[in-house]
Amino acid sequence: MGDSALFGRYWPGDSVVHRLDPRVKLVCSLALMAVVFAARDWAGLAVCAAFVVAFYLAAGIPLGQAARSIAPLLIIVVMTALLNVLFVQGGQVYAQWGPLCVSEAGLRQAAFIAVRLTLLLLGMSLLTLTTTTLDITEAFERLLSPLARVGLPAHELGMMMGIALRFLPQFAEELRIIYRAQLSRGARLASNPLRGGASALTSLMVPLLTSAFRHAETLSAAMEARCYHGGAGRTRLHPLAVAPRDGGAAAALALMLAAVLAANALG
Amino acid sequence: MIVPDLTAPAADAPSFEDAAHGGAPAAARPAFIAFEDASFTYDGASFVFEGLSLTVPQGQFCCLLGGNGSGKSTLARCVNALLTPDAGRVLTFGRDTRDADATYFIRSNAGLVFQSPDDQLVASVVENDVAFGPENLGVPAPELAERVSRALGAVGLQGFQRSETASLSGGQKQRVAIAGVLAMDPALLILDEASAMLDPRGRAGLMRVCRELHDEGLTILMITHYMEEAAQAERVVVLDAGRVVMDGGPDEVLTRGDELRALALDVPFAAALAADLRGRGVAVAPCVDAATLRAELDAARAAAGRAAGADAAGGSDGTAASDAPGPSAPANESPSPADAAPLIALEGVSYSYGDPERRERRRRRRRQEPERADWGPEPGAVWALRDVTLTVREGELLGIAGHTGSGKSTLAQLLNGLARPTRGRVLLRGEDLSARGAAERARAAVGLVFQYPEHQLFAATVYDDVAFGPRNLGLAPAEVDGRVRRALAGVGLDFDAVQARSPFELSGGQQRRVALAGVLAMEPEALVLDEPVAGLDPRGREELLALIERLHAGGLTCVIVSHSMDDLARLADRVLVLNEGAVFSLGTPAEVFADPAALHGVGLGVPEAQALALDLRRDGWPLPRALYDEASLADDVAAALAGEGARHGR
Repeated sequence: MGDSALFGRYWPGDSVVHRLDPRVKLVCSLALMAVVFAARDWAGLAVCAAFVVAFYLAAGIPLGQAARSIAPLLIIVVMTALLNVLFVQGGQVYAQWGPLCVSEAGLRQAAFIAVRLTLLLLGMSLLTLTTTTLDITEAFERLLSPLARVGLPAHELGMMMGIALRFLPQFAEELRIIYRAQLSRGARLASNPLRGGASALTSLMVPLLTSAFRHAETLSAAMEARCYHGGAGRTRLHPLAVAPRDGGAAAALALMLAAVLAANALG
Repeated sequence: MIVPDLTAPAADAPSFEDAAHGGAPAAARPAFIAFEDASFTYDGASFVFEGLSLTVPQGQFCCLLGGNGSGKSTLARCVNALLTPDAGRVLTFGRDTRDADATYFIRSNAGLVFQSPDDQLVASVVENDVAFGPENLGVPAPELAERVSRALGAVGLQGFQRSETASLSGGQKQRVAIAGVLAMDPALLILDEASAMLDPRGRAGLMRVCRELHDEGLTILMITHYMEEAAQAERVVVLDAGRVVMDGGPDEVLTRGDELRALALDVPFAAALAADLRGRGVAVAPCVDAATLRAELDAARAAAGRAAGADAAGGSDGTAASDAPGPSAPANESPSPADAAPLIALEGVSYSYGDPERRERRRRRRRQEPERADWGPEPGAVWALRDVTLTVREGELLGIAGHTGSGKSTLAQLLNGLARPTRGRVLLRGEDLSARGAAERARAAVGLVFQYPEHQLFAATVYDDVAFGPRNLGLAPAEVDGRVRRALAGVGLDFDAVQARSPFELSGGQQRRVALAGVLAMEPEALVLDEPVAGLDPRGREELLALIERLHAGGLTCVIVSHSMDDLARLADRVLVLNEGAVFSLGTPAEVFADPAALHGVGLGVPEAQALALDLRRDGWPLPRALYDEASLADDVAAALAGEGARHGR
C-alpha cells in the first residue's frame, strides 16, 4: 500500500486539452477507444499511437507521468497478454509444456493485444489526467440529462459520482491507517490475509464502513445547510460552453479515424 | 426586511430570498437569533433542551460553552433550520424556522460550519466547493467567480482556487468550509466546534479569520471547548444539560472558576492564577487574559513597594534583578531516570514517503505553482524525518511536540516497526528492527495507539475487540481472558458492565478507553500514544491524562505525541521538539521550555504559566524555579510581593 499515483489522478494544467468542454472530451475519449478497437493491424495501431502521443503532448503531460498513471493497471495488460501467448497457436512453436505451447502466432497476438490495451488505458487516463472529477461528473450528468425526461435521475447520479470521487483519496488514507493499526495489534494481514481469517478482514472492513456512515451523516447535514435541494435552479461556477477548440478536438478524432480506416484498407 | 449587511451590497441578495419574502416582518428586529421557550427532543422522551430562551442580537460575537451532551450542537442546527423545536419557537432573522418558506432564506444567511474538516467539503477542488452554496442559490456564473475569490481572500486562501481539497491541512480545510459559507453572503456565521480537531496553529488561524469577519460586521455564534477562544468573544453563554447557566461578558463568566470546574469546563489560565493569588492575599482583579493579569501584577508590585515606604519607591528593579537567578538555574526536581537503560534507540533515522530522489525531481519540475499557505506545513515536503537520533529510556515518559507536518506521527510508527526508516536504523533493546522477524516482535513489544483510535473498533462486543490482539498472539483462552480483564481494569472500565456491550454504543470517551485497552491487552513494554486527547472535551481530556499518568506510574514506558505544551510540561520526563522532520530540541521540560522565542519560531508555544513566569523574570521578579505550573507560580509571585513589601519596609 504505497502512495503510488492513483490511476489517472488529475494533473493540473492549462493546455488546450485541459480547456476542452468536458462533455466533448468525454465523448471524444469514448470515440478514441472505438477507433483503437477499429485498428486491425500494426499499421493502424501505429497511427493510433502517434495520435495518442500527440494528444499527450498537446495536454502538456510528460510521457513519464502518463506511464506512471497507468502503471497500476499494467497487470491487466500482462495477464491478458499471457493468456494470449498460451491459448493462441499457430506458426512456429518455440516452447511446449504438455498442452501449453508458445507459438509465433501466440506471441504476435499477445503483443498486439498488449499494445492495444495500453493505448486504451492511455486514452482513458488522458481524460482523467486533464479533467477534474467534478467536470467529468458534470459532463456525465449533462449527457444523461435528456434521459431525465423518462425518469432517469441524471443529476443525482452525477452528484453521487462526484462525492464518491471526492471521498476516494480519503478512504484510501483511512484504510491505510486502519490497516496499520490492526497490524500493530498483531493482525496477520501482511503475510497472508486469507489465513488471518474472517476476523482479520472484518477488523479492516467494519471500521471503514463505520467511518463511511459517519461521514455520510455529517456530509448530508452540511449539504443541506448550504441550501442543497437537488438540481433544480442550480447554476454553475464554470458553465459548460462549446468553443471552437472543441470542434478542433472532434476534427482531430475524425482524422484519426480516417487514418486508421485507411491503414486497415491498405493492410 | 432583514438585510444581510456584510460587505456585499444588499442588491446581490439571491433571488431565493425574494421568493421567500412574502411573510417577512415589516420592521427589522434587533435579535438575529431568538429561542423562545424552545424544547427539543430526538426520541420523544429525553429533552436535549427544554423551555430554552436565548437571544443573540445582530453584530454580536457570542461564544457558547458546555461539556459534551450539553445540547450545543443541537442548538446550532436549530438556528440553521436543520432541526426544528418540538415546542416553543426558534426565530432566525425574525423568521420562524418551522416556516418552510423561510428555510432557504435562513440557511443562506446563517452559515453553519461543522466540526470535522473531512466531512463537510463536497467537491475535490477548492473553488468548486466554495461555489457549491451559491450555486444552489442560483447565483449567475460571473458573480459566482467573484464571490469565490472574495470568500477565499477573506479566509487567507487567495490563490488556492484550483487546489485539491484532499491536499489541504485540517486548518485549511476548515477555512475552505468557512469560505463556502461566506460565498453565500451570510449575515450570521455559526461555528459548531469548528476548531476542535485542529492543532494550535490551525486554531489560531481560524480565530483570526473569525475576528476579522466580526470586525466587518458579521454576527458570530461560536461553539467551542477552548477558553482562549471564548476569552476573545463579546459574550459567553454556558450551557449545561440544555439550560443556560451562565451568561455575560468573558470577564464576568470566565472568572467564575469554581462554577466552570463544576461543569467540567476549563478555566482560563489567567483567571485561575488570579483567583489563586487572591486566595494567597494578593490584591489582583479577576481577569481572563494574560496581558491584563500582567498589568495587574505590575500594579500590585508597585503598590507593595509604595505601601512599605515612600522613601524606597525608586530603584527596586536593580535589586530584584540581582536576586533573580538566570534561566540556567538548575531544575529543582528532576525525576528523569537519566541513567536508565535504553529501550528503543533511533540512530540517524531519515524517512521519506516514496522514492525521495524522484519526489525531489518532481517537486522541482512543479515549482511553477505559486501555491503556498499563509500558514501551515509545506505540502510538497519530501523528507518526513531527517537524521533523527534519539533514545527512549526504560520507564520514562517521553513527550514529542511539533506542529502538524513536523513528522511526529511518522516517528511514532517507526518506534514499533510499522514504518521502516529510509536511512539509519531503529533498535529495540539493541536489536535492529530491519532484522528478520524483529519488526513483528517490536509490534508486540511496543504498543501503538493511533490518533482517534476509537475509529478502529470493529468487533461485536467490547470483549472481542480487546481480545483481538491477544488472540492474534496465539494465546490460550484463559490467558486471553485474563489479559482482557486486566486491560479493561487498567483503563478504568468495569469489566462486567461493558464486556458484552457493543463498543459503538459507548460514549466517545469510553470508546477511546476500549481502544486503548485493546493495545494494553498486548501487554507491551512501551506504549506510544499519538495525540491521545485529540477531540475530547475538557472532562474527557482530564480523565485520559490521569489514566496515562497512572499507567506510567505503574512502570510502563510511554511516548506521547501531543501539541499541548501544558500536557507535556505536566506529564513528560523529557520532551523532544521536532521541526520539519528534524530534532529541534530535546531535554527536560524545564530545559526545552526555557526559550519561548525559539519555540515560537517553529510555530510552538510554551505552557502559559511558564511563559508568564519568564516574562516576569525578565522584569526582575525573583522567580527561581526552572519550570513553573500555575500553583507554583502563584506561590512564588505571592512570596515575591511579600518580599518586596518587606525590603522596602526596612
